[in-house]
Amino acid sequence: MKDDYLWDGSGEPDSEIQRLESVLARYRHSRPAPQFPERLTAWARWRTRLFRVSLAAATAALVIVVVRFARRPIPPSGQTGWQVRRLAGAPKIGDAPVGETAQLAVGQWLETDDASRANVFVGTSGKVEIDSDTRIRLVETRPSHHRLALAQGTIHAMIWAPPGQFVVDIPSAMAVDLGCAYTLHVDDKGAGLLRVTFGWVGFEFKGRESFIPAGAVCATQPGVGPGTPYFADASAGLRDALAKLDFEQSSASERVASLKVILAESRKRDAFTLWHLLSRVGPAEREPVYRRLAALVFPPHGVTREGALQGDRRMLNLWWDELGLGDINWWREWERAWPQQSP
Amino acid sequence: MVESAEDASLVGAACDGDRAAFGQLYERYARVVHGILLSRVPSEDVDDLVQDVFLNAWRRLRTLRDHKAFGAWLAAIARNRAADHHHRSAVREELPEELPAEDREQSEALAVLTAVKSLPEAYRETLILRLVEGLSGAEIAARTGLTHGSVRVNLHRGMQQLREKLGKGNNP
Repeated sequence: MKDDYLWDGSGEPDSEIQRLESVLARYRHSRPAPQFPERLTAWARWRTRLFRVSLAAATAALVIVVVRFARRPIPPSGQTGWQVRRLAGAPKIGDAPVGETAQLAVGQWLETDDASRANVFVGTSGKVEIDSDTRIRLVETRPSHHRLALAQGTIHAMIWAPPGQFVVDIPSAMAVDLGCAYTLHVDDKGAGLLRVTFGWVGFEFKGRESFIPAGAVCATQPGVGPGTPYFADASAGLRDALAKLDFEQSSASERVASLKVILAESRKRDAFTLWHLLSRVGPAEREPVYRRLAALVFPPHGVTREGALQGDRRMLNLWWDELGLGDINWWREWERAWPQQSP
Repeated sequence: MVESAEDASLVGAACDGDRAAFGQLYERYARVVHGILLSRVPSEDVDDLVQDVFLNAWRRLRTLRDHKAFGAWLAAIARNRAADHHHRSAVREELPEELPAEDREQSEALAVLTAVKSLPEAYRETLILRLVEGLSGAEIAARTGLTHGSVRVNLHRGMQQLREKLGKGNNP
């Protein structure tokens, strides 16, 4: 029976079916299995829950500390400036040296040399330590809106105001605080480096955005804007390759080489770096980034390969929410409240 | 029955995080998923979509209540993925308008595949699993959840229609 051959290849061979099998064999599946992401065991899931509960408890404790700090007696402060307290050396406001305390008015510059440091109290919203060799200018201060410009040097910000109320302009980006502690450094060429120690900071420059959680770092360059953020414990190879890809003029083959290092050395934790990278690399480079990101964090329902490769904002937002780093729309709400401004 | 019991065992292990067990399920079912997708989407997109389907299945595996029904469940994911892809993709012709003269084998293969894909859905899926992926009728039934009778009918009628189409193509 020829139907037997059609059924399972047994019986009398059918020459036409044999020919079709031969012709169509080129389409047969041959690709090996992808690398399936690690699945949490019951014990690991329990540990994750325990970690989350601990994190919530720690956050609650921090909130209590911050609230108590915010309710402390406030040093006298005018509506149009911030109080400055000298920590070391002789900081200056304009040309005038700061005594133990002074007032920094809107538009004024505060400058420290290599031997001086100061604290600036951002109304009741937080405190910024001005490191040595630093220049800042108070741009704006009013209830729930505070803005300073960091021209050069290093500041350590501890902000307990609600998210979005404190902004720092640097020559190559705008940093929006989302309730956090961070260090921001600007060198003499205007390049910046942000390290977040608690909470979140959003970096933005002419539509180029970076979202930086605690433990992560992000560099910026004048004329380019924020680079791709990464966790401080990422491999040295990944960090170097990111810097080349973000800021160096490289040939196509050099870019491919950098991209290969980044993808090969990305851990699950580095998915947030790949998420940023996906919308920054050129169209021809997106496919491998997509594949690696999908292998680390599977795209959720509503995210397609085609959409992700085309930079569909809604799909990328959905994917972000799978990274376990919070809702991205939350950040964008605060970002919209602040127009870009040059320091 | 033996195969579905083995599937259930592998699915159980995979649910507990055993990636090697899921790798075995991949080896067993990759051709089925590939065939289902090939019958519905352009051939150049199929390999990527196969990976999408398995990664999706891996992620959602704990939602599968009857572990023995893994094959039918996976086939449903593949069909849904193909439908999703179809809706979001611009219409593309499987057969390029012009082919290099030296690539006659590819031209012939594309022509046959196009003819198979013009058949009704049930026929083209079953025929592709048989002619392209090399599965037997029994394997197709076991791995897609169809009955032997349905597979046999699909193969028989599908082949009959395919012969007619190819015959017309050869003798216009």
